[in-house]
Amino acid sequence: MNTPTLTLLLQAAGVSLLLALAAIAAGTVAAALLTALAFSRLRPLRFFYRLYVYVVRGTPLLVLALLIFYALPALDLRAGPYLAGVLVLTVYVAALFAEVFRGGVLAIPRPQWESAKSLGVPPGPLLRKIVGPLVLRYALPPYVNVCVMTVKATSVLSIISVWELTLASREIIERTLAVFTVLSVAGVLYFIMCLGIDRIGRRLERRLALRGFAGERV
Amino acid sequence: MLQLNWFRTYGATYLDALGWTAVTALAASAGALVWGCALFLLRLTGGRWGARGVDAYVQAFRNTPVLLPIYLIYFGFPLIGLPWPAVVCGGLALVLQNGAYISEILRGSYQAIDRVQFDAAKSIGLGPWHTFRKITLPQVLVYSIPSLGNQVVLLLKDTSLLSAISVTELTMQAKLLTEQTGAAYEAFIVVAALYLVLVSGTEVFFRVAHRTVRWR
Repeated sequence: MNTPTLTLLLQAAGVSLLLALAAIAAGTVAAALLTALAFSRLRPLRFFYRLYVYVVRGTPLLVLALLIFYALPALDLRAGPYLAGVLVLTVYVAALFAEVFRGGVLAIPRPQWESAKSLGVPPGPLLRKIVGPLVLRYALPPYVNVCVMTVKATSVLSIISVWELTLASREIIERTLAVFTVLSVAGVLYFIMCLGIDRIGRRLERRLALRGFAGERV
Repeated sequence: MLQLNWFRTYGATYLDALGWTAVTALAASAGALVWGCALFLLRLTGGRWGARGVDAYVQAFRNTPVLLPIYLIYFGFPLIGLPWPAVVCGGLALVLQNGAYISEILRGSYQAIDRVQFDAAKSIGLGPWHTFRKITLPQVLVYSIPSLGNQVVLLLKDTSLLSAISVTELTMQAKLLTEQTGAAYEAFIVVAALYLVLVSGTEVFFRVAHRTVRWR
């Protein structure tokens, strides 16, 4: 493999990583809002949450991507493939993140809620001082898993002509037929990105670890 | 936007595609289960190097997207003299990846087995193979039913990626119909609904299996 090819693949890996990071950022915000719906007092909102998660998790990412890819022009929204790609990924990972957050909220031990109530903690501080920090710690390991999944999911966008690592590899293969070398290099690059995110997540877990956490002693 | 006529005209054309998706998913799930069991056995009995090899394999497939092995096999195998049909190439890639995940699922369930059982197996004179076949595997598989269900659902959804290597399954069908008729919404909404049905069906199947197959 020559240097220009390698540079091209590295650039493409950078694009993949940026796509994933954009989707993770936007998806986290969207998921926080969705989680609020899941615990809403209004039944239609809870129903909407369940429907959203059911549909998004029950259909392949590629179908969602093609639907949005073909439907956006029909809605007269001329978004480039990158914007469409980030949008698709955001819609997709928001559902996964929301389930992670919901699980985190459900994992909070009952005494925490009860003591907060008995102390008369108002909703704002309850969210900031009690629910937030606990959910952050409970949800972090699965959250990191979804982040790794997001990096892998960016490869699906190659099919809707987003130029990232997988599409770049495919283009180079079609020109040079160097199937094994190009795909191995692409695999190594994905591996490094996924493992990197995993490591950062683990480090964050250790840093956030609290003594007596998980409800044994508080 | 949605025209009922459209469904009446093109509804039948989905049947073939639905069949391809279902058959591919079924065959690949069966293959992945067998491959996952083989990897799990190798991890248990292969000594330190066996375990290390399986670990490296699992890590490699866990941290790379499925499209890479799909392309690797589809574009690579003809170069080494194996011009297999696209479905087989794609199916093999799905088997290889999901086998890695399934071996990890089985490993997780293995922890749930009481160690005493292995001492008991030894004391009644069972060799390693028979211990695996008769003691370990049946229990591990039963404990794993819910997680295996999740994995099969993921595999089922990943069959959509085979459209990238020209397999005419559901997603490809929707693409073709969109290009023929220009009706993207209709084509993809039908396909999304069919996937939802397949996924829900799989989930129900595994839930029922989990409830029926239980110890004691």
